Amino acid sequence: MAERELTYGEAVKEAIAEEMRRDPRVFLIGEDVAEAGHPFKTLTGLVQEFGTDRIVDTPISEPGYAGIGVGAAMTGMRPIVDVMFGDFITLTMDQMVNQAAKVHYMSGGKIKVPIVFRTTLGATRRSAAQHSQSLHAWVSHIPGLKVALPSGPYEAKGLMKTAIRDDSPVVIFEDKMMYRVKGPVPADDYTIPFGVAEVKRAGTDITIVATSSMVGVALGAANLLEAAGISAEVIDPRTTWPLDKQTLIESAKKTSRAIVVDEGYERYGVTAEIASVIAEGAFYHLDAPVKRIGAMDVPVPFSPVLEDLTVPTEKSVAEAAKVLCRKA
Amino acid sequence: MATNVIMPALEMAQETGKVVHWLKRAGDSVQKGEPLVEIETDKVTVEIEAPASGVLRDVSANEGDVVPVGQTIALILAPSEAGVARAAATVMPAASAAATGAVPMAPAAAAASGGASAGAVKASPLARKIAEQHGVDLARVKTASGRVEKADVLAYVEGQKASPSSGNGRAARLAPASPKARRLAAERGVDLGAVRGSGPGGAVLALDVPTTPRPAMAAPATPRVGAPTVGTVWRIMAERMTTSWTTAPHFYLVREVNVSRLASWLERARQQTGAHITYTDLLVKLVAAALAQHPRVNASWKDGAIVQNTDINIGLAVAIDDGLVVPVIHRADTLGLAQLAARREDIVSRAQAGKLRPADIQGGGFTISNLGMYGVDAFNAIVNPPQAAILAVGRIADRVVALNGQPAVRPTLVLTLSCDHRALDGARGAQFLGALAELVEEPLALLV
Repeated sequence: MAERELTYGEAVKEAIAEEMRRDPRVFLIGEDVAEAGHPFKTLTGLVQEFGTDRIVDTPISEPGYAGIGVGAAMTGMRPIVDVMFGDFITLTMDQMVNQAAKVHYMSGGKIKVPIVFRTTLGATRRSAAQHSQSLHAWVSHIPGLKVALPSGPYEAKGLMKTAIRDDSPVVIFEDKMMYRVKGPVPADDYTIPFGVAEVKRAGTDITIVATSSMVGVALGAANLLEAAGISAEVIDPRTTWPLDKQTLIESAKKTSRAIVVDEGYERYGVTAEIASVIAEGAFYHLDAPVKRIGAMDVPVPFSPVLEDLTVPTEKSVAEAAKVLCRKA
Repeated sequence: MATNVIMPALEMAQETGKVVHWLKRAGDSVQKGEPLVEIETDKVTVEIEAPASGVLRDVSANEGDVVPVGQTIALILAPSEAGVARAAATVMPAASAAATGAVPMAPAAAAASGGASAGAVKASPLARKIAEQHGVDLARVKTASGRVEKADVLAYVEGQKASPSSGNGRAARLAPASPKARRLAAERGVDLGAVRGSGPGGAVLALDVPTTPRPAMAAPATPRVGAPTVGTVWRIMAERMTTSWTTAPHFYLVREVNVSRLASWLERARQQTGAHITYTDLLVKLVAAALAQHPRVNASWKDGAIVQNTDINIGLAVAIDDGLVVPVIHRADTLGLAQLAARREDIVSRAQAGKLRPADIQGGGFTISNLGMYGVDAFNAIVNPPQAAILAVGRIADRVVALNGQPAVRPTLVLTLSCDHRALDGARGAQFLGALAELVEEPLALLV
């Protein structure tokens, strides 16, 4: 029997639905999440099953409902706070960074905040500068927050279920351009552990660490590189925190070269952090500088032509790899 | 003009040679005729001389590599062309690099030195200010228009940065290399400054670092203070003797022989030829004759079979300052005494001068080691692999011998034959030694 396939969006919804059935404390709150089924249609049908008590539509006020979520988590619920666009997490920073991330520590461990912030990243949707950013580096910076970046439908379900069951605040970034991407997703109740990277493709000449939708880009680049006689290893960290440093370092030690690809802004970004981890851990095994490839350091343009230039592509990643391998 | 260093053919049927040890490293300057590299075949280890003078480069065969005969294993660049490459690769110790620093000149000094000539140069005020900040002499900045502008000065400054060797007094920097290449070089004892890098800006990458670690024996990690350093000759001796002692089962046959007739022959031969003939020359002649009678002794044990040599080539163990070498008198059975003496004098003097050529030490089938001049009565020598036997010769002395039932005093010599029991047995060794003893006691037998 062929493996069951779901879209990325369906996988997210299945994870949420399964967890809501399993645990009555789980509820979802956000804008246009109930009757509308979310602007990205990822939640369609949930309100019919769980009712408006558990799929809660709110006014347009991210700080408000994020605060409700943190409070609910502190008092025993397990909320999923839906922030439609990752750009809007800027409005929830106090709730995430100063409250959710700190309460467990500042209460001496007495209070847990088992909250999930569900939001998006990714450009090329022609959504312009305020709806196209990938701001996961902002929260990856904060001790007390865990950050997951599912790279496909399988990861979307497994990481979401882990996030919901985790007793710490988790921010999960879905790439809004991947919602229609299909892939095998087991119907079982499975989870993907945080802090465990997955080697998506084994190789010997260069390590490409990629996050979220950049994993697909990296795998495409690896195919291009194979034709050029370069064997690329592609690694998906799956969570930027906790970060599976060991797998990254071991791979870089093996291949002697590394590229980090992420759709966040390149400067001061996730790529910089991971590149630094590799440079420190594998320094004496590196035969080339660790290369960062992030989004161009500009407000994301609305013009499709310009917008497409700001993100890493299979070709640009492959070209960078060739340069590092001295085969350009 | 670069000269190729090729893997030489040291023997007729040789197809490959093994690089045992580079006596020079890439980047070293070498003189023509200077020992360059040790090459090992299955029979011998020899030093190959530099075919030209210059700087050794592009060493493509690493120690331990087995290379086909005729293949280029390195280049020697003529001093003129090497000079440039060498300068670029020069490495300064980090400490002195730090001491001289990256500061090109003190600003004050620069302004003073630039002042005189800069005054005459047309330059924008901004260019002048920037030149002063960077200590640039405006007269040295070239422009198309003749008027120096900001961009010209900045371009000049960049250019100076890009070519550190051209900068006056600018410190040479650490040779560019990847961290991995640096680590590998350290592990393998490779001087990065001598490696030509294939990376950006000539940076040495992991691939560029020669792969084979140097033999531990050649570079002891912590040499004892005051311990004599071990030279190549000594190391080869140590290795070959260890090989022989641990792989060839030895046995020894001893005979005392009367040398009365040998002494009179020596006197006669000296008179007749006028050459400085020695007992060793006579022994070479006699051993060659004995080997002709008993060719099984002129053989080797190789890969489970006895391989007989076609020619009678006799090696002489020669002590030199660095250790022991065994130059060979080829086809000794075809040479007259005067020729043998001339050949012996030639190879012994060149051995002592360290000027043996590969041909001088290859192809030996039997070795004579004579310690008589040191007053040694007799000794057991170690077989010189892959040969089957070695003759140890003691001193000639008047000794009491039984003659017709009466003690008598005669000049005698003790011959000890050491044999590799894989190639020889006691009876065959004894037959050879017997034939040799008869020849020594009655050299006239040569005539039969």
